[in-house]
Amino acid sequence: MGRVQMKKKSTFIDMTAMSDVTVLLLTFFMLTSTFLAKEPTTVVTPPSVSEEKVQETNFVQVLVSPEGKIWLTMNNDTSAQWSNERMRMELLDKVAEIYNESHKNKISFSPEQKYAFSKLGAFGVPLANMGEFLDLAAMPEGTTKQDEWIQGKTEKVTGIPIQKEQDELHPTEFQMWMKAMRQTNNETLAQAIKDGTGVAIKADQNTSYEIVHMVMDNLQTIHMNKFTLLTALKTEGE
Amino acid sequence: MAQIETGGGDGKGKSHQKKMSIHVDFTPMVDMNMLLITFFMLCTTMIKSQTLNIALPSNEKVENVENMSQASADDAVTIILDAKRKKGSFDVDTVNGKVVNEVYYFEGKPGGDEGMFDAAGNILSANNNLQKAEFLANNADGTSQGIRKLIQQRNKEVLVEINKLKERFRKEEINQEQYDSLSKKVRRDEKLKKPVIIIKSTNQASYGSLVQILDEMQINSISKYQIDNMTRVDSVMLIDYQNNHRN
Repeated sequence: MGRVQMKKKSTFIDMTAMSDVTVLLLTFFMLTSTFLAKEPTTVVTPPSVSEEKVQETNFVQVLVSPEGKIWLTMNNDTSAQWSNERMRMELLDKVAEIYNESHKNKISFSPEQKYAFSKLGAFGVPLANMGEFLDLAAMPEGTTKQDEWIQGKTEKVTGIPIQKEQDELHPTEFQMWMKAMRQTNNETLAQAIKDGTGVAIKADQNTSYEIVHMVMDNLQTIHMNKFTLLTALKTEGE
Repeated sequence: MAQIETGGGDGKGKSHQKKMSIHVDFTPMVDMNMLLITFFMLCTTMIKSQTLNIALPSNEKVENVENMSQASADDAVTIILDAKRKKGSFDVDTVNGKVVNEVYYFEGKPGGDEGMFDAAGNILSANNNLQKAEFLANNADGTSQGIRKLIQQRNKEVLVEINKLKERFRKEEINQEQYDSLSKKVRRDEKLKKPVIIIKSTNQASYGSLVQILDEMQINSISKYQIDNMTRVDSVMLIDYQNNHRN
């Protein structure tokens, strides 16, 4: 009986080339990536044909949730003098100043609280609760608790208070923040706000016009008539 | 590639070194790299958001109404955005929890020359010149339809000039910079007849539709448009229209 002699074959696959390719890809992604900022709510911006790109520095982003809650993000220069951390500390001082002008219950912040504020990305709690919110940072798992608060997972109020009825003498807290943004020492930001490139409204496409109108109206009252709306690139047709 | 051959010389040597090949297995390395790539791919935002610039008029009270720039009734087109309502009521109708947007428009004054109200303040339905349009993309043959068709008809003179410029740009007679400045000039040209579009929206319409209509302004090179608040007449017309066109 003739036995077929099977040739022993090695199944070794050379992975070197594959490894080369993956390392190249990895390098590419590592160098080009900018990470998504953590945001309190996810919104889908409406599609538009506008091709103007969003600016990278010196702008304030107003995030509007479909329920009408508002959070702010302040993006400053990349230079050390106007770094985000420094400007946020200054911003907190300014907003406290503006708040105290019209409220009996004065607020003030300790250096630790200011430091905690400088580390925040998107922020938005009523100013009366801001101290309590910032104190969380020093506690164990403080940032997680802060995130939960700001995302509305606790019973505490999140979002910057805003209302329809307002005038220049009785500003809403949202208006106070925006005014404070304009008053910080970063002149490039103040100029950008004046030109209209410094304020970007990011809202979900299914948000009702009532809410967006309220935000725009609030801005209009404090003479921020020019601003931009964040949109996504339209995919189909024109 | 991933192996090193350590040969035993030419064989003449005294020591008979065994021929050895060292394989380095790169498979775990590739595995790890793939994982990292996946991570970076998912966490990266490649496309940056686009922005749409908006300039609202200052809302300071104008003392002297005479000084206000008034759009002549001939040029004015008012577009009203609204959400689709349920049959028989004014509740918002939703599809999968999303509002369906509707767009209405009227040309000139509300109610035409005679107005929407008679001397006693009663609504004159017959004068209602509100019409319904739709947001539609271009037809397959490139012609426009819906609200875009209306806007294009009203802005014909400007669009003819803009298209001439586009043609020149395509033939490379002018560069991008020249095209931008020339098209800007055309849009501002006072001699050309162009509409003034007033955009209004009910509270129930979605923000997406506002961006959509602002887009139409951009697509059709409209130079004069503004976002305004609904007035009483607008609401009356809208409700009157919806009452009359209910199946």
